[in-house]
Parts: sequence; structure tokens; C-alpha cells
Amino acid sequence: MMETGRRGFFKSIFAAGAALVASGAAVAPRPAQASAQTQITGVCLFVPSLGRASEFVDLMNTNAPGNWTVHALHGSLIEHYFTTRNLFEEARGSANTFVGVVDPATFAIVHEAIVDSGGSFHYITHEDRNRVTFSAQL
Amino acid sequence: MSSFIALPKGVTEEAFTKAIKEYRALLGEDRVRTDSASLQSYLKIMIPESVELHKPSAAIYPRTVKEIQAIVGIANKYKTPLWTVSTGKNMGYGSAAPATSGQIVLDLKTMKKIIHVDEELGYCLVEPGVTYYDLQEYFKKHKLNLWVDVPAPSAMASPVGNTMDRGVGYTPYGEHFLFSCGMELVLANGDVIRTGTGGVQNSTSWQNNKWGFGPYVDGIFTQSNFGILTKLGVWLMKGPPPGGYMPFLMKFPKVEMLADIIKTLMPLRLAQIIPNACIVVNAGWEAAGYFTYDKNGKGTNRDTFYKGKDSLPPKVFQQIMDKYDVGAWNFYAALYGSPEQVALNWKYVSGAFKAKFGDKVKIVTESDAKDDPIFEYRKQLMMGGSTLQEFGLYNWRGGGGSMWFAPVAAARPSECDKQMRLATEVLNKYGFDYVSEFIVGWRDMHHIVDLLYDRTNPDEMAKAYKCFNELLTVFTNNGWGTYRTNTAFMDKVSHSYGEGMRDIHYKLKKALDPNNILAPGKSGINLNP
Repeated sequence: MMETGRRGFFKSIFAAGAALVASGAAVAPRPAQASAQTQITGVCLFVPSLGRASEFVDLMNTNAPGNWTVHALHGSLIEHYFTTRNLFEEARGSANTFVGVVDPATFAIVHEAIVDSGGSFHYITHEDRNRVTFSAQL
Repeated sequence: MSSFIALPKGVTEEAFTKAIKEYRALLGEDRVRTDSASLQSYLKIMIPESVELHKPSAAIYPRTVKEIQAIVGIANKYKTPLWTVSTGKNMGYGSAAPATSGQIVLDLKTMKKIIHVDEELGYCLVEPGVTYYDLQEYFKKHKLNLWVDVPAPSAMASPVGNTMDRGVGYTPYGEHFLFSCGMELVLANGDVIRTGTGGVQNSTSWQNNKWGFGPYVDGIFTQSNFGILTKLGVWLMKGPPPGGYMPFLMKFPKVEMLADIIKTLMPLRLAQIIPNACIVVNAGWEAAGYFTYDKNGKGTNRDTFYKGKDSLPPKVFQQIMDKYDVGAWNFYAALYGSPEQVALNWKYVSGAFKAKFGDKVKIVTESDAKDDPIFEYRKQLMMGGSTLQEFGLYNWRGGGGSMWFAPVAAARPSECDKQMRLATEVLNKYGFDYVSEFIVGWRDMHHIVDLLYDRTNPDEMAKAYKCFNELLTVFTNNGWGTYRTNTAFMDKVSHSYGEGMRDIHYKLKKALDPNNILAPGKSGINLNP
């Protein structure tokens, strides 16, 4: 069962879709830039302490309909770094939205993995001290 | 309203627009970014200041030395300051954000050439964007038995960035600047120089002899803003033969044992029986490494044990120690050499600690540790491997706030003990926990304290700032310098080293960079504060 507080994340995800579309005006076009006509094809990273995969899939599809794939970050923190880099680079060719809900330690690494893959961010929100949500620009 | 998210101090929008046009003519549209999404990457600061104080005006991505020479030409023409980063992983020291708002980030991650690796004499020559991980992969690919000494964020940090900030690691080559040899730099006037023997035409020993002839200048380019480093020589350790590397851990149950630990280990360190930059880690730091997730996805952190707003009471620290089986102090070190040397040295090491502490010390070898993730992380660091486990610290309190308070101590038992007590007292006064490690140098200690706080809470932000400020004041008053600090406190730290040093830094800056275009504010050096 999702806590009420987590629902805010999905509102943010929904906003992320809009932000992603809007961002086209603010930045130079890039190969995988989503456009207003594009349906969300999204990748969502999460750490297992913040929810189950099935919950994320259901709520993503409820609040931000589209084709969502969720990935739990398991293993050591260095694995998180390389997993994120791989997923981000794969998403470049196949998705238009890349979001996540993670703890602060994981975020510190995921942020760098995305930056090191040439990505940038629509937004980063510290929802509370133990949870960070973000939407990255593909 | 400006079309840029920030402008350099004293530069009009019109002038800046012209400068950007020239940078784009040089590098192309895609390698000169002024959009907020691209610049946000440089704003993930962890210090207790507003991002407004550290907003870059642009980010530019050169690929060659020639391009950097042209960039400084444009920077001089329009007085647009350049904040150089290698891979920009200086987390807890200001990250990749400039010291002051409006500087252009000169991001060198696009310069990624491993120019040369020499197995015979154990060194390499690299560009700024090369990471420690890149080097490790190179060694693997070419089947080279070489180790590069790494700092904790090894997979993503660069030898150039870390050495230029005088960072340290954990093998016998732990003092990175000491084990660097030969630099290539672009000066503010566009000149390219090579230090050491690199200036000799067709030099064969640029990465072998550090000193060259005449005054040795490499040091003035570290922790400074006198040049842009474009190549660095790094000495590499030959990996020991099979059975020639023995990492170990010793756990001590009482905080008060620190002085005796130092007293026992320093003779072994000075005799090179323990040759590496070994580490004495406190319970908080050690436990934070275990704050990950179990198979059911359950995470733990400080809140799991204590809901209070103040610092952790000693009895709660004890509960954490008991739960994770960590010591009040946890001493990680390693022995290197032939298997015979290692076996013999282990007798000296284990014998010395058993003689001093008897059954109060718990000794853990690699076979005892099995698959313990924290032992593995320390084992990797002491052999130049890749790990990012240290980032677990950011889950201790959460909220994304972290500042490394990094005083040095003479490696004397009483001095380390006094620093530990004073740091604890000041941190606790503001409601923060003492989370620390001592990295044991050749004659000194890098006493690394992570001031962890919640950046989402304005009250904690303000307290963290005051606390760090007081730590600096109190330690300076006791005669203890700080070896490295974040961009919010560089000016204060530079003052602590005396006006004579500030004066000479100022004179060097004026001579080498009269237009103040290279990273103004770095280490408190700024012609136009």
C-alpha cells in the first residue's frame, strides 16, 4: 500500500511529462527530445525501500498514462551508478521520459550517472529528507 | 529580463552575449550551453548556501589544448571568468558549482585521452576527463598489473581533479600530489607550459623526475587558479604478487581508545610495516555504510534509531554499534609485498595490537569478513579498486547536505584525541553527529568529518553554516590548519594561514592572471572580491 506522501511523487511525474514537453522551447533540440505529439514512453528508477515495482507501474499508468518501465536499483551503490548509466543510454533511443524516486545516497550517484551520460534535469525535488524525485531530460 | 540565468560580475548582458557568440564560433552551439537545463547539472551543491550564489552563466566543453588557448583569449577580451572542473565530482567541497555566481564552467570531461601508460616504470599521462575507472578498465584491457590510488568516489572522479585539489587515497601511494609527476598547463595569457623536465625538448623523463631544474612550481597550480591543467603524470603502483595483499580490520569498542590506537599504529606506519594511507573510522561513518536495504527492501538510517532533533546520545550510538557489529573505532589497513613479507609483517602488526589491547581488539581478516560489503569497500579502496559505497553516508541524516570538515593533525595520539573531542563538542552543540575518519599520512592525519545535515530544512541549513564556521574558528585557534574546504569557506580558511600567504597568492595571481579570469575565489584568491 502506498503512503499518501508518495502520491505526491506521481503528481510530480505527471508534471514531468508536461515539463518535458515544455522544455523543448527552452533548450536546443536533441535527438530524443519528446514533442507535444509524443505519448509518454517512460523509464522510472526506484529504490525498493520506497515502494514495490507493481505499485509503481500501476500508479504511473493511472496518473501519467503511457508505456512505463520500472527498474529497481538493487545491489551496491557502484552498481547503481553503472545501471543508471546503462538505462539512461538505452532510454535515449527508446523512451522520452526518465524519472526516479530514490534515497539521498542513491540520488547522489544517479545524478552523476545521468550527468556523465550527457543528461540534464527538468527538476529535482527533495520531497522529504529521505526521498528525492527527479525527471531527467533525454 | 536577462536571457541568461546569471552574468559574470561587472559584465553587461550585451558584452556577455558577444562573448558567447565568440565561444560558439569557436566550439559550436552544442559545446557552449547557457540553457537552464544544461546548467542545472552544476547546481547540485551540498553546502548550506543558496544555489543563487553559485549559478554559472554558461558551460563550455573544449576538446583540445588549442581550444583552451582560444577560450582564455576570449575570456580575457570580455572578462568572463572560467571555473574549471575535470569531472566535477568535488562533492561536499562545493561540487561542480563555481565559487561565485556568473562564472562560466569550463568543463574538461570531454578531454578523455589516456595518452600513455608505462608498465615498465609504472606511470601514466592523462587528460582531465579520464576517470580512475577509465584507467582501471585500461589496465584490465591491456592486462597490466598496475594499481592507481583512488579517492572514495573512484568510479567517477578523475586523477587530475583529485590531485589538483590535493586529495588523498588509501594505498601506499595515497598522497596524490606527492605521486604526481609532470603537468601541462594553459596559463591565463594562453601560453602552454610543461613542468618538471617536460620543458626539455624531446624529454624522456617528464613522468619520471618530478623536479626538473630551478624552482619547483607544480605546487602553485594545485588548489589554485593560476593555470588550467591539461595533462598530468601519475605514478602507478605495481600490483603485488598473488598472496601479497592482505587487507584487515581491527575493531575497538571505546571512543577513548583512539589515542592508544594511534600510539600503536604510528611506529608501524613509520617503519613502513603498514605502508598505506590506512584509516581509523568512527562508528557513525562505519554504520552508515550498512544503511542500505535488506532483501525485503527495508532501509535504515539515523531516524530508525533516534527521532530526536539533537545529536545522537551515546547510548543510541552504542545500539547502532551493537546492531551492525561495528567498533567505536574501526582501523582498516593493508600489508603489501611478497606472501612471505606479508606473513612476517602480519606478526608484527597483530602482535603489537594484541599486546596493547588484549581481548579488547577484534581482528577481522578477509576470510573472516566473507562477503561483508563494508570490508569489501575498504579492501577495494586500499588496492585502488572502484567503489562508491561511501555515498551511503548521505542516508545517515538525509536531505542532501554534506560538508567535509578536513583539518590536519600531527599524527600524535593526544592531538588526534583532542581534535576528536573538540569536533564532537562543536557538532553536538548544533545538534549534529560526529561522523569521521582519520586518514593516516606520512607524519600527519587528515581528520575528515562529514557534517551531514538536511538541506531541505532552512533551520538546519543555518545551523550547519554556523557549525562549520565555528569548527574552523575553534580549530584555527588551536593551531590546526584545514587542508581542503568547500567554496563557501575558502576565504575564511585562506585567512587562517596568515596574511603573508594571502599576499603572496595575490601577487602570483596578479602576475599570472591580471584580468582575474581563472576561477576567481578558488582557495580565497580573487583580485576583485
